[in-house]
Amino acid sequence: MTFRFIHSGDLHLGKRFGQFSGDLPAKLREARHAAIGKLAEHARSHGATTILLAGDTFDTETPSADVRRQALAEMRHHGGICWVMLPGNHDSLQAAQLWSTLRAEAPENVTLAVEATPLELAPDVTLLPAPCTTRRPGRDLSEWMDGAPTSEGAIRIGLAHGAVQSFSEEGNGLDVIAPDRARRAGLSYLALGDWHGGVEIDQRTRYCGTPEPDRFKHERPGEALMVTIEGAAALPQATPLETGSFSWRRLALDLLDGDDPVARMAALLPEARLRRQFLINLVATGRAGLEARTALASAAESARADFAHFEFDDRGLATECEAGDLDAIDRVGALREAADVLLMESADTSRSTEEREVARSALARLYAYAQAVAP
Amino acid sequence: MKIGALRLFNVKRFAGRGVALEGIGDGVNVLCAANEFGKSTSFEALHALFFQPHSSTAGDVRNLRPYSGGNPLVEADIETAAGRFRITKQFYGGRSARILDLANGRIVAQADEAESFIAGLVRGGTAGPAGLLWVRQGVTGIDRRSKSEEDSEKQVRASLLESVQGEVEAVTGGRRMAEIMAATEEALGRLVTPTGRPKAGERYAETIERRDRLEADERRLSAEITALREALDKRSVAAKRLAELDRPEDRQQRLQAIAAAQATFDKAKTQAEVRRAAEAELLLTREQRDNAHREQMSFHAALERAAKLSGKLGEAELRNATALANRDAEAARAAKARADSDAAEREAVEARALLARLDAAQKAREAAEQLAELEQKLDAAEAARKEIEEGEASLALLRLPEKAVSELEALDIEIAKLKAVAEAGRPSVVIAYEPQAPIVSLDGEPLKDGEARSYGGRAELAIPGVGIVALRSNSPVGGDEQLRKAAEKRRVLLASMAVDDLAAARKRQVETQRQESDIRERKTRLSLLAPRGLPELREDVAARRAAAGEVLELKGDPVEARAAHEAAEAKRVAAWQAFRATEPMQTTAADAVVAAQTASARLDAERIEVQAILGPEAARAEREGQMAARLAGLDKLLAEHQAAVDRLQADAVDLASAEATLRRLRSVAEAAEKEIGRLREEIAGLTAEIRARSEDAVEEKWREVVDALAAAKGRVTAFEKEVAVLQRLRSALEDARGHARETYLLPVMTELRPLLGLLFDDVSITFDDKTLLPHKILRNGQEEEVERLSGGMREQLSVLTRLAFARLLARDGRPAPVILDDALVYSDDDRIEKMFDALHRQASEQQIIVFSCRQRAFQQLGGNVLHMSEWMPEN
Repeated sequence: MTFRFIHSGDLHLGKRFGQFSGDLPAKLREARHAAIGKLAEHARSHGATTILLAGDTFDTETPSADVRRQALAEMRHHGGICWVMLPGNHDSLQAAQLWSTLRAEAPENVTLAVEATPLELAPDVTLLPAPCTTRRPGRDLSEWMDGAPTSEGAIRIGLAHGAVQSFSEEGNGLDVIAPDRARRAGLSYLALGDWHGGVEIDQRTRYCGTPEPDRFKHERPGEALMVTIEGAAALPQATPLETGSFSWRRLALDLLDGDDPVARMAALLPEARLRRQFLINLVATGRAGLEARTALASAAESARADFAHFEFDDRGLATECEAGDLDAIDRVGALREAADVLLMESADTSRSTEEREVARSALARLYAYAQAVAP
Repeated sequence: MKIGALRLFNVKRFAGRGVALEGIGDGVNVLCAANEFGKSTSFEALHALFFQPHSSTAGDVRNLRPYSGGNPLVEADIETAAGRFRITKQFYGGRSARILDLANGRIVAQADEAESFIAGLVRGGTAGPAGLLWVRQGVTGIDRRSKSEEDSEKQVRASLLESVQGEVEAVTGGRRMAEIMAATEEALGRLVTPTGRPKAGERYAETIERRDRLEADERRLSAEITALREALDKRSVAAKRLAELDRPEDRQQRLQAIAAAQATFDKAKTQAEVRRAAEAELLLTREQRDNAHREQMSFHAALERAAKLSGKLGEAELRNATALANRDAEAARAAKARADSDAAEREAVEARALLARLDAAQKAREAAEQLAELEQKLDAAEAARKEIEEGEASLALLRLPEKAVSELEALDIEIAKLKAVAEAGRPSVVIAYEPQAPIVSLDGEPLKDGEARSYGGRAELAIPGVGIVALRSNSPVGGDEQLRKAAEKRRVLLASMAVDDLAAARKRQVETQRQESDIRERKTRLSLLAPRGLPELREDVAARRAAAGEVLELKGDPVEARAAHEAAEAKRVAAWQAFRATEPMQTTAADAVVAAQTASARLDAERIEVQAILGPEAARAEREGQMAARLAGLDKLLAEHQAAVDRLQADAVDLASAEATLRRLRSVAEAAEKEIGRLREEIAGLTAEIRARSEDAVEEKWREVVDALAAAKGRVTAFEKEVAVLQRLRSALEDARGHARETYLLPVMTELRPLLGLLFDDVSITFDDKTLLPHKILRNGQEEEVERLSGGMREQLSVLTRLAFARLLARDGRPAPVILDDALVYSDDDRIEKMFDALHRQASEQQIIVFSCRQRAFQQLGGNVLHMSEWMPEN
């Protein structure tokens, strides 16, 4: 007996991305919706008929009607697939309105796992869901799985949403799911949601990650897991599937004095054609000369337009100033004097970090202006 | 750098022509030519060569073109530490710039590289003054200026202030500094106002506004979400409660409980009514029995009281009679004491009246005596007064005027004296008688022997027996006028005093004094008689006379009368006291009567009452028997009723708790129904609210705003930092420029001082501490404002300042030519010569090129005289 299904979750449909401007928020939102279709496609191509969504299908307890209706319509469209939707912390059962509306609107192929009772997924395959009753239930909701009765030899699959350790997305550790719940409850597989990067807790317990990333936190692409279970006792086979359309990357550019920062940066950035699907957070650290620094800032500025979003943070980058750099401002005279004062101030440890930072930036600005006006 | 030659072609008035200034050497070079000779053109061409890019079409370059158009070409040979070069620039058509190394004829640089080469020459490094120092008629700086600015400046003349500051600015960063500063200011100006506040309408202010707006939105949405979640929570609680309440079995159970409680309550109510009736009967019986008992008790008491009363009544009669007798006796005694007292009173009154009369008579007598005495005094006083008046009247007649007597006396003496004198002056006759000679008489008067008799005028001496001798004297007779006047005065005096002579006057004087003495004596007497004056005495007498009554005849002795009065008074007091002593006795007796009669009356009333209770004597025993029987019957009945009530009470169900139970159960059911209704309503309301908010997708919006707010905060922080950076840069630049100004200005001033001394014997300049600009000129010990200097002095200072800079540059190993174009038009000849001295002094260290139209004056300058020659470019 082989049972194959797709394990996904944290779709966060309807998330608006207010921190961005322009049409990027709309694109990101649209990409989340598109994840439904991608999951269905993967299921079809791998011969799976069940997709388990381990919570946080919707970003909020009150998703707007279009988000909800369009999601259900998309699921209905993939009629051969059974979607199992578990309430997560973002769309917990406390959002009674949401779930009652969903119950009324859900098509036949969408199952709402809103009660902690065994659900028959297939003959001898039982799903034990642990829906989030509230945003912060304050207890391990998967505990009931231990004593849940199933027929002899059935494959028991757990479905839960929340943290197994203190690394929850929400950052509190009150309602931690026992990491060895799979063993305790005799589960073949425990499908977990909440953590947006795919993680294997043990051989039978996994977080699937979000199919479409929504922050810089996780260095993983959008993905879902295809899980194959050969029998109640067999170890499950989990294969990651790529689903993301946008990539969120935090790039660390650690510079040494003498490095060519522009080349280093270019090496980190993805291929030009792909850049429009990338959100980049480039963090420069280490040390750089004035010229290198100015060059880096200008290169970063010019690279900005390539990307869906590009952030450049050089606050951690210390300025290494050489005589030549200052000469480029002026060899002697008032400008040079101003540059000297600013350089000294930026290295003066008796001043506050902010003051030094301001002096350093002022020096860089002076350098940039000096380059702009004819010598 | 030094300039060796200048050539120009197609420049301004030299359309299609060229001129050259060759052989410009070290020291002072002079091109002295009349106006419109091409001198200023040369100056401008030189300026353009060094300061205008060959590609420029700026005003200064445009000005170089001849009116007919054409492409100006300017060329100069220069010498620097690196060698000798030729700089050639052509503007407009075929524009080019070229540097040729004169040593080998090779092109060193062209176009922009050539411009860099030139820039290196004139800027002489990065922070020094320009490598060329220019002074032009009235124009003192080398910074770019607009045409109109320059024109107006030619008119108003540049101030010394600018002449110095122009160079100083060139030192302190120059145009690069200005441009960087401007860029900084512009960047800053796009963000904040001059006072450092975010500038309205710009990105910074907009970002702050956006952040504030988002914050407000976030608060609003967050509140809405809270409301939504509360509504969800409330609804779930309400729904749970409703489900509990609305279960059918619970409802059935509630109804059954009410029915059971109702039955219990009804039964209890019936029982309670029966018991209440029995209790009422018991109460009635007990009352009857108690009444019977009370009646019996009072009957017995009345019997006892009747026995006691008959004894008491007798005693009371007796006491009453005694009291009455006693009262009458006391009344009699009191009447007698009263009579005694009244008699004593009368006697005392009579004695007192007699005594009063005696006293009055005594007083009247004494008054009459006093009056008589006073009257006597008054008579005496009146007499004395009369005498005084009479005395004073006669005295008035008698009294001589004061001094009159003494005057009379003096007059008499004087007359005697005058007479004597007259006598002495008159002829006299003395006769010495012979014995028995007859007596001779003179004028009838016998002459005595030896007696000298004088005579006046004429006298007759009768000598008996002889005849009459007529004597005549020559002195005039009676010619003594003085004596006559004195005699007349005496006569008048005597007449006024009414006396005959001095003796009579003296006598009257004595008489007068005597009378005055008499009057004084009488006055003394009068004042003794009437010390307070006669009128008062008169009034006193009159008053006493009026007061004097009739003098009564006295009967009896006053002393006796007084003793009798005292005895009568003592008797009266004793009698009164005796009477008063009887009063309490009488009152006590009367009170005793009242008390006895009251007691008697009370006993009588009691007797009547007791009789009323007891009834007639005969029926008393029978009545007592009846009473005892009735009481016994009632006692029995009472016991029966009590037992019945006790039995009922023991069996009673608690009605109150039965009712309470019933009420409670009913209210439970009612409350449940009511709550069900309320919950249904609440749930409906909440559902509507939740649906509305859910359909608004409020949480989605909230999350969007939260993200946007975080981004906006980041933007604001970035802007804040940008502002801080720009402000810091600006202040750093300002500080550096100020500092440079300071460090360059002071050395220049050091250089300037000796030059000033050269030109002006007694002038010193003070500089403002803050602006570092010339502030005051001290000349001949008098301070003058710099602005008020003459045009000549200003231009001289302007030239000297350049020279000072030139010295500074030369010291730094960067010699720069000083070029003066009609720089000394306003200076008088004397000064010009002094300026020439200064120029020569400087020229020992550097090149100075002077253009001037003042040919005559500049002949005195000496130096290398330059001449213009025709020139054509090589190609």
